[in-house]
Amino acid sequence: MTDNFLKVKNISKSYPSKDGKSFVTIYENVNFSIEKGEFICLIGHSGCGKSTILNNLAGLDLVSGGSIKMLNEEVKKTSLDRGVIFQNHSILPWLTVLKNVTMAIACRFKDMSKADIESRAIYFLKMVNLEDHIYKKPSELSGGMKQRVGIARAFAIEPSLLLMDEPFGALDALTRGKLQDKLVEICDKTKQTTFMITHDIDEAILLSDKILLMSDGPEARVAEMVIVDIPKPRNRAEIVNHPAYYVVRNYLVDFLVNQSSKISKKLKEGTLSDSDFPIEVDPLKLKYDLENNIINP
Amino acid sequence: MSETKKSILLSIGLLFVFIIIGELITGDGARNKQNMTEYEKLMGMGETQAHVPGPIEVFKLAVKELSNPFYDNGPNDKGIGTQLFFSILRVMAGYFLSVIIAIPIGFLIGMSPLFYKALQPYIQILKPISPLAWMPLALFVIKDSIMSSIFVIFICSIWPMLINTAFGVMSVKKDFLNVGKTLEMSNVKMAFTIILPAALPTIFTGLRISMGISWLVIVAAEMLVGGTGIGYYVWNEWNNLDLASVVFSILMIGIVGMFLDSMISFISKYFNYQE
Ligand SMILES: Nc1ncnc2c1ncn2[C@@H]1O[C@H](COP(=O)(O)OP(=O)(O)OP(=O)(O)O)[C@@H](O)[C@H]1O
Ligand SMILES: [Mg+2]
Repeated sequence: MTDNFLKVKNISKSYPSKDGKSFVTIYENVNFSIEKGEFICLIGHSGCGKSTILNNLAGLDLVSGGSIKMLNEEVKKTSLDRGVIFQNHSILPWLTVLKNVTMAIACRFKDMSKADIESRAIYFLKMVNLEDHIYKKPSELSGGMKQRVGIARAFAIEPSLLLMDEPFGALDALTRGKLQDKLVEICDKTKQTTFMITHDIDEAILLSDKILLMSDGPEARVAEMVIVDIPKPRNRAEIVNHPAYYVVRNYLVDFLVNQSSKISKKLKEGTLSDSDFPIEVDPLKLKYDLENNIINP
Repeated sequence: MSETKKSILLSIGLLFVFIIIGELITGDGARNKQNMTEYEKLMGMGETQAHVPGPIEVFKLAVKELSNPFYDNGPNDKGIGTQLFFSILRVMAGYFLSVIIAIPIGFLIGMSPLFYKALQPYIQILKPISPLAWMPLALFVIKDSIMSSIFVIFICSIWPMLINTAFGVMSVKKDFLNVGKTLEMSNVKMAFTIILPAALPTIFTGLRISMGISWLVIVAAEMLVGGTGIGYYVWNEWNNLDLASVVFSILMIGIVGMFLDSMISFISKYFNYQE
């Protein structure tokens, strides 16, 4: 199949080891694809190589093997078609909130008039409730506000693919919740195709259509792809009542606590083959099948 | 009472203490008249007897000099304002010359590890050379004392600027560069919209250090080459054994130095940012 929006095939990344004689493989044999309008989350233990994959997708860093194709075109460098929200917001501290956003818009829409650029920036800053702070410098903002500037900046350039690296990682639970709601709202409205890294299982379930699970590094794999079969638009308060919610949640917890290390151990021993990774799982269906003895555990 | 008010009061108090101590430990030169020989008295040397002047004497001289700072009675008698003006002019000329050269080269070194490694040994060797050591060579090659002192200012102010610019450029956070890259900025655009503003605070630290050094060096350079300038003025007054003028010009050097420094730090405020 070639008509995936984004197609990741057999990619791997390795760095020369300290003595320079051999290579350390961060991840290998990673395959997955993203369709237009999909929201994909990537979960894995710290240090397994999630940010590395995201940087590869963005084109900030190149893979050592395999190919990443977006709309059938090889990803060789960064592009305005792939917007990035960085792990640590990366707002330019010498520019005002407004200028941070207008600068990005001016890079994307080269022919747009100054007035249009500004009104577009204000539109997106309103979307993240920052309209009263547009003339402030980032140092005058709280962590959550900076993160929102980053979100406004990324959405304002309308990338075909949005890449987010733990965008809410450094925030308190309350702010994180608010921003997640905001993100749900924006993504429902814009049907933004998104790839997001997170450590927060509930966040992943709330937002994603599919969740990619990574085994432990080094030589990590994207081992499973969990389908989140909960209708959208979702809502944080109601989603917990859906029958799939806790099933998916328990499945993810089990993967992170038990399976991710087992898989990487078995791969090393050679008792497990990664040829059909990622294995597609629908936890709700799996549970049903198990309970009705359709398959054996 | 606020902290600032207290500190001002303390400063004024200390000033009075300094003045009183100064008056107590210095003479007025006239006392020496008593143990002068007839010959000396005849020659009218009593009035010019060298002595370390007290604060009041210096103050009186300051009032007199500063009420007419720009007079010009020939090569050996110019007002303090004129002399300071010449010195500042030379410092500015040498300083801006090195800004023009140091900042682009610093940028290059900071952006390219190749240039960094290639130029590092030269910088390491040239940097510790006392700027005045260049003077004879400069005088011989340039054959002009004013131009030579400008050159000496240039050579002493270039290193802090160069090193700080390179360091500032090198230590621009990778995250900021990544922002530029994901926006598909060209290298030139990246240099001006990301790297330069990110490095400016560090560059200004270098500019400020350079200004300080330039002002230190110009006094010495002018003592060496003579002609005009505050350095020459100090040396000339020393030769005249007019120590009140020497003390007065020392104070003026300090005040102008402070002014130059606060000028740079004032400008740098507009380019500083907080994270
Ligand atoms: N330039 C590099 N050279 C060598 N090893 C590197 C380099 N960059 C990253 N690594 C290694 O790659 C591994 C994966 O790093 P990465 O930042 O992708 O982890 P992560 O999954 O994003 O972790 P976290 O969840 O903590 O952000 C780490 O073990 C790190 O040591
Ligand atoms: Mg990471």
